[in-house]
Amino acid sequence: MNRLVQDIKFALRQLRKSPGFTITAIVTLALGIGANAAIFTLVHAVLLKNLPVSDPKLLVRVGDTDDCCVEGGVPDQRDYSIFAFELYQHLRENTPEFESLAAMQAGVGYAGVTARSNKPGDLPRAERGEVVTGNYFQVLGLQPYAGRLILPSDDVQGAPMGVVMSYQAWQRDYASDPSVVGSTFVLNTYPVTILGITPPSFYGDRMTSAPPDFYIPMVMEPNFGPGNPTSLLHRRDANWLYLLGKIKPGTDLKQLEAKMSASLRNYLATLPLYQRQDRQADLAGAHVVLTPGGAGIENMQQEYGVGLKMLITVSALVLLIACANIANLMLVRGMARRAETSIRMALGAQRARLIRQMLTESVVLSCLGGLAGLLVAYAGTKVLLAMAFPHAQSLPIEATPSLVVLGFAFALSLLTGLIFGVAPAWVTSHSQPADALRGSNRTTSDRSGWLQRSLVILQAALSLILLVGAGLMAKSLSKLENQDFGVVTQNRVVVHFSPESAGYKQEQLQGLYDKIINDLHALPGVDKAALSLYTPLEGNNWGEGVYIQGRPEPGAQAKNGASWLRVGPEYFDIVGHRVLRGRGITAQDTATSLPVVVVNEAFVKKFFSNGENPLGAHFGISGMESVGDWEIVGVVSDIKYNDLRRPTRAMYFRPLLQVAHTKSQTDTRSLYAGAIMLTTKGQVGNLESQVRRTLANINPNLTVVDYNTFEAQVRGQFDQERMIARLTLMFSLLALMLAAVGLYGVTAYSVARRTPEIGVRMALGAGRGNVVAMVMREAMLQAIIGLAIGIPAAWLCVRLVQSQLYNVGGHDAMVMTGSVLVLTIAALLAGLIPAQRAASTDPVKALRTE
Amino acid sequence: MIDLRNVERSYRAGGTETWVLRRISLTIQPWEFVTIMGPSGAGKSSLLNVLAMLDDQWKGEFDFDGVAVHRLNRKQRADLARQKIGMVFQSYHLLDDMTVAENIDLPLSYKDIPRSERQAMVADTLDRFQIVAKKDLYPHQLSGGQQQLVGIARAMIHKPALLLADEPTGNLHSKQAQEIMEMFRQLNQEGTTIVQVTHSETNAAYGTRIIELRDGWVHSDTAGTAQPPLQEVRS
Ligand SMILES: Nc1ncnc2c1ncn2[C@@H]1O[C@H](COP(=O)(O)OP(=O)(O)O)[C@@H](O)[C@H]1O
Ligand SMILES: [Mg+2]
Repeated sequence: MNRLVQDIKFALRQLRKSPGFTITAIVTLALGIGANAAIFTLVHAVLLKNLPVSDPKLLVRVGDTDDCCVEGGVPDQRDYSIFAFELYQHLRENTPEFESLAAMQAGVGYAGVTARSNKPGDLPRAERGEVVTGNYFQVLGLQPYAGRLILPSDDVQGAPMGVVMSYQAWQRDYASDPSVVGSTFVLNTYPVTILGITPPSFYGDRMTSAPPDFYIPMVMEPNFGPGNPTSLLHRRDANWLYLLGKIKPGTDLKQLEAKMSASLRNYLATLPLYQRQDRQADLAGAHVVLTPGGAGIENMQQEYGVGLKMLITVSALVLLIACANIANLMLVRGMARRAETSIRMALGAQRARLIRQMLTESVVLSCLGGLAGLLVAYAGTKVLLAMAFPHAQSLPIEATPSLVVLGFAFALSLLTGLIFGVAPAWVTSHSQPADALRGSNRTTSDRSGWLQRSLVILQAALSLILLVGAGLMAKSLSKLENQDFGVVTQNRVVVHFSPESAGYKQEQLQGLYDKIINDLHALPGVDKAALSLYTPLEGNNWGEGVYIQGRPEPGAQAKNGASWLRVGPEYFDIVGHRVLRGRGITAQDTATSLPVVVVNEAFVKKFFSNGENPLGAHFGISGMESVGDWEIVGVVSDIKYNDLRRPTRAMYFRPLLQVAHTKSQTDTRSLYAGAIMLTTKGQVGNLESQVRRTLANINPNLTVVDYNTFEAQVRGQFDQERMIARLTLMFSLLALMLAAVGLYGVTAYSVARRTPEIGVRMALGAGRGNVVAMVMREAMLQAIIGLAIGIPAAWLCVRLVQSQLYNVGGHDAMVMTGSVLVLTIAALLAGLIPAQRAASTDPVKALRTE
Repeated sequence: MIDLRNVERSYRAGGTETWVLRRISLTIQPWEFVTIMGPSGAGKSSLLNVLAMLDDQWKGEFDFDGVAVHRLNRKQRADLARQKIGMVFQSYHLLDDMTVAENIDLPLSYKDIPRSERQAMVADTLDRFQIVAKKDLYPHQLSGGQQQLVGIARAMIHKPALLLADEPTGNLHSKQAQEIMEMFRQLNQEGTTIVQVTHSETNAAYGTRIIELRDGWVHSDTAGTAQPPLQEVRS
């Protein structure tokens, strides 16, 4: 024990004696360990973390895609992941293998709820609600933090209206006031009891940056669901629920999957959609896929998965480079101390003791590095989370780095340090002391040299691969961001609100809309104002199959889909749609005037591809009987509303309040506008509070769900791409830095070792230039071999990122050239410092050390 | 050829200044073969380094072939040395991973000489020092005497006017030392000025003049230009 303390003290003294070596090693370790721990923390939190439920292994999700919100028709690949309520009931009743099968709203937060507490003076607030079945919390096996959770008995017709509040909302919006539990709130104008608070660790059934604030029993769906103010509950053609169940232990999932798929087909066969002859193949192929439900509905996991896996690869490469550096540093140090070791051996030191000392030194160094790594990991995780979820309100991810990962990275670098730290001591202590003493200063070549150089070459090759990857991602991001979406974003504001949550009836909407637009126009600085169902690049989309008058009925496989929305008179001007033919939507297009639509260029290209005149053509969306519903009166320029990687969709625009003649009852939900867009004359101070006040003056329940500039909304579309690109860039620069340090270290060591030789050369007439050239030649040779290996390797590796790229070929010559250039410059800089030092060798001294 | 006036050199170590060369004034003529002697630490190597223009830290005046070295900057001194001076070391300082021919070629590689001309000069030199048979061997394959012969060949390849040798035979048997001294004498007779440091009276006998250093002072000079250390008291 005493000897250990002594060894540690000695080791610390040794490390303090060579601060350059020690600092380089510690920084390398800190960056390698810290960066990895940070990345893995993010990955672990997003991809691997289970819900805080009692038995995550028994949870099974019915479905495997991120289909969302409200859908009709046949899903992609005939793979059902989103279900109608009646279909859910059918599946539940036919699968006793589930102890309990719950359903929950897929599109949380689209409409939102307006909530007002019973506290006097409290203003209504826009919050998020999720409609769930009565057995939801039983399936998850959660215990309430306060009060109680929803029970099946709450989810029956006639039960008193009660909802559960999330712990986070309770903390954030109601100051953790215990009297909230059991009190009566006004939700969407209905009085509702707050039954209880969810446990603090529960962030909803899926990973999202905006988890629900209220859990609402399914029976209340007509007032609070995604179809509010109409109801989806009994619509057999609208799929809007995710299913998550708890299976009985020992259930064979493959068998259950087949059984549920058969059960699904039995139900689907009763739908009109599948009764047509040309839908029989779709019916036969309809199926579900069961996936593990322990982590909930894994939409975010799917969305981020590819990018995160790539980042893991990148950070693993960084760790590898860091380890190579540690190996190199330890080797250099060991070799430099060979003479010292020999002398001590000659003086009778025991081999075991020498090796133990080296061992202690390596461990002490690794521990210091690990400690620094811990700090980097903490800071790094915070930075990564902030980069990954820039708009998160309450993110279900803690910034505490995973200990497992920290331990792993630490162990790896410790091992590297040990192997390469002890090996030189071992070798030296096994050679004859006299040999080592005599030979050490005269050799100009060195046996350990090739190992060090190989490590540097490896580092150069790896960093080139990373640089190329980062370059490709950056270029792809810039292409994505700089493509022409067709929109105008300067001085534009998007306000989301929810007239349905405020309790408006259909016949009150015209008056409301007129008042909103009037009052907003009256605000100083506001130029234009328009209502719309939704806005470009906010992530929303309404789509429908189109039936055109005078054309044959489209078959089952026909691609006749088009996206649509309702817009007010000034909308086209605000967003940037230019009217190309005919006219736009005007104030004269009211509920009672001739039903019209305006289409975009892509619509014309898709449905009028033979040069027919779209103006005056008629179409509808409710089968062949609806073809006369609307007349096309104008064509506007294309704007991307969704899916930035694909071409603009065919779209059509309808006036705010015209109801389709055919199946008019299914056309009323869309009468409720979701967004207001404004243009201002230059910057207007305090616009947000003015808008909020204007709406609240009309009706206190008209709460602002979201307020954003149009520019920020568009930028928000690239958050994920930007994060991946930035992180890749950050990590590749880190790798480059480490590789440069490696090259610097080896070159500096080689210079130190060759000092006598350089002295001789200078005495024989070598000038500064000659010496610099000699050192640089050696350094650049390693970089060039690294490039020779790295270029073809990068060429092969880009395949892996190809799917992530937009409009960038994997083999982009500019990115490749740029990366090679950056690496070369880094190598030049890394070589130049020791080369300069070599050139200022004093030959007199160099020759004297002989 | 060489004219030193009041050359001084000191080392500063830990606050104290140690003088290693004190007011050295010497004139060496082109035909001379000078031997510098003296006890260890007397400043012999230091003086040689000044003559070789490897050292810049001295004070005083130094004329070389009519050029005032004390007014030259580092680069000019290096250029001058590269043209006019050759050096031979006690431990040879051959580069291990180069063959004999490559070692000999080294000084030429630092001058702008066309490749073919260089090859011819190397061949000539190998011939002149009778080591043609060894040209592809590495230094460790040679005996000490042979290595020093290569060292001299390397120093002489560019036909310097001045050859400096710091204990060239310090690591050699007397038989080998004798051969080296014969070589020096021959080079001197062919017109090269030689300044060597040695501890051996036998070696010194090959030269034409002996300068003895003690504690940095010129203690005696067979050319009779030594100044007595008496003057130190007054200064
Ligand atoms: N780089 C140096 N730093 C400090 N002292 C030195 C240095 N080089 C030589 N000396 C000292 O200068 C004195 C003369 O050295 P040197 O010229 O090598 O003597 P010699 O060659 O006659 O043995 C010695 O005392 C030596 O210790
Ligand atoms: Mg000496």
